[in-house]
Amino acid sequence: MNVKVEKIDACRWRIPKEGDMRTEGLVFASEAMIHALMQEKALEQVRNVATLPGIVGPSLAMPDIHWGYGFPIGGVAAFSEQEGVVSPGGVGYDINCGVRLLAGSLHLEELLPVQAPLADLLFRNVPSGVGSTRSDFRLTKGQERRVLLDGARWAVREGFGTDADLDHIEEGGVILGADPELISDRALERGRSQLGTLGSGNHFLEVQKVDRIFDARAAEVLGLFEGQITVSIHTGSRGLGYQICDDHLRLMQAASRKYGIHLPDRQLCCAPLTSPEGKQYLAAMAAGANFAFANRQMITAWVRESFSRIFGKGQEQIRMRLIYDVCHNIAKWEEHEVAGRMQRLCVHRKGATRAFAPGHPKTPSAFAEVGQPVLIPGDMGRSSCVLVGTQKAMEETFGSSCHGAGRVLSRHAAKKVSRGRDPVAELAKRGILIRASSRATVAEEISEAYKDVNEVVEVMQQAGLAKIVARLRPLIVVKG
Amino acid sequence: MGIEAFGETLEELFVHAACALRTVVLGEVQGEAERSEAVELRADGPEALMVDWLSEVLFLLESRGLCPLEFHIESIDDEARLKASVKGVDFRPGEHSIEREVKAVTWHRLEVAPHEQGWRAVVYLDL
Repeated sequence: MNVKVEKIDACRWRIPKEGDMRTEGLVFASEAMIHALMQEKALEQVRNVATLPGIVGPSLAMPDIHWGYGFPIGGVAAFSEQEGVVSPGGVGYDINCGVRLLAGSLHLEELLPVQAPLADLLFRNVPSGVGSTRSDFRLTKGQERRVLLDGARWAVREGFGTDADLDHIEEGGVILGADPELISDRALERGRSQLGTLGSGNHFLEVQKVDRIFDARAAEVLGLFEGQITVSIHTGSRGLGYQICDDHLRLMQAASRKYGIHLPDRQLCCAPLTSPEGKQYLAAMAAGANFAFANRQMITAWVRESFSRIFGKGQEQIRMRLIYDVCHNIAKWEEHEVAGRMQRLCVHRKGATRAFAPGHPKTPSAFAEVGQPVLIPGDMGRSSCVLVGTQKAMEETFGSSCHGAGRVLSRHAAKKVSRGRDPVAELAKRGILIRASSRATVAEEISEAYKDVNEVVEVMQQAGLAKIVARLRPLIVVKG
Repeated sequence: MGIEAFGETLEELFVHAACALRTVVLGEVQGEAERSEAVELRADGPEALMVDWLSEVLFLLESRGLCPLEFHIESIDDEARLKASVKGVDFRPGEHSIEREVKAVTWHRLEVAPHEQGWRAVVYLDL
């Protein structure tokens, strides 16, 4: 299907409301990006989301948009409480896949002499998944129930980090309303074997240096400085989340038929927010999200331990603080101003990040002056960015931003491109040490497979949806 | 990532689809089976059954530590009931490695349908 696109300005494109669309689509992209997008199906997916009942505002697409299951990745859509729907495809299989940023007092010069042993220790200390788990951690059924209810708060109570961390996690590290009773035995078993693991594919743990500061005041408020060592952790709810999504996709297919919801794509299956099926999905999704918050909190503790061991200093001296933790696959109840009045909306962000403005009640008080940190990982060979949210984002995108660089090559195509090359050696020549369980994964995650995150961030800046604070460059990449 | 499988019978199709999934996740694996897990499933039709079957193979690897070497489908009846066994060895790091982690077997463009010489399936995996 050829989707009609109209230019609004240099970084905004409208998909006009036609046919069964209930609203228009609004795509944030550069001219070059939109031409590339016209060759693939992501815009059709933006259009499809616009057909769902109760959608409020446009069907939104961030500049890192690419094709996903049902909703595009990089898609944002908000639905009204009474007439709207909730869709697992608008969250994704990896519920609360997200990223967090740690930053401490260490400088690049201190890290370089121990770069290789630190890489090795992080690879050993942070398990990746199957066949790679910590012998000092086993989760009981009772504990798992608490994880699903309390998220990162559970992890802190168990000694993984401190209360101070919780103020620097979206939603305080727990989404209320989770119901562990709704989680299938299969999902629970997958969760018990995988809490405290990084996963593979595009999940990673990365040690970085702050390469450039763009906004001195915001950097000061966030606690970032040039040459500083930072750590990003990108992972989600692992097999538990994937299973919750799978379980509910089936229920939602039946619900869509039951409630007479026409679906242009089966994977957009959904249920009214007021229905039992809709409420159950949100309660199960909250449980999955809390699992992911706990997961990232546990990995943070092991990262801090690793740094402490390598540098022979206590964690209080290295002070690897949590700057912020963001979700980028989630559906949440939020209050937003629509046509002059506040409305309670269910905002779906699939491969998109919340980006709340300075002074917003949910922006951590420590960052009230500058806005909520927005963490945008790039590919493993280039850079990542730290941004802050803006009032413009609140007005145009329900306080949402992009989440990363977005793939431009399929895994198959990336593997072809890397044939005959040694990506690990190439990165090492540039000072980036990679530790990975699978060479296939490394080949499929080469830089050429992704958009340049700087181009994506540039669109966000130009549109006024986020402001860049700092750019980070990788030094160590750990992948499952 | 998509996989495409063929089989003269529905049972053979399901075996070949599982082999394809194994290759995606583990690459080439060899050896003599040391353990076996029985699988019994029931679904709404052959497509749903394929999703359930491949999901089960993934679950056995991920949560039960079974590195699959052989797939034996005893029967798939007209009501989409499957009886099978998966034989393999314990997943051993160092000897086996996860080439690609599969998050889910999806419903995207899912096909399980009669083909020229039997059956054909197309299944997309979320990585």
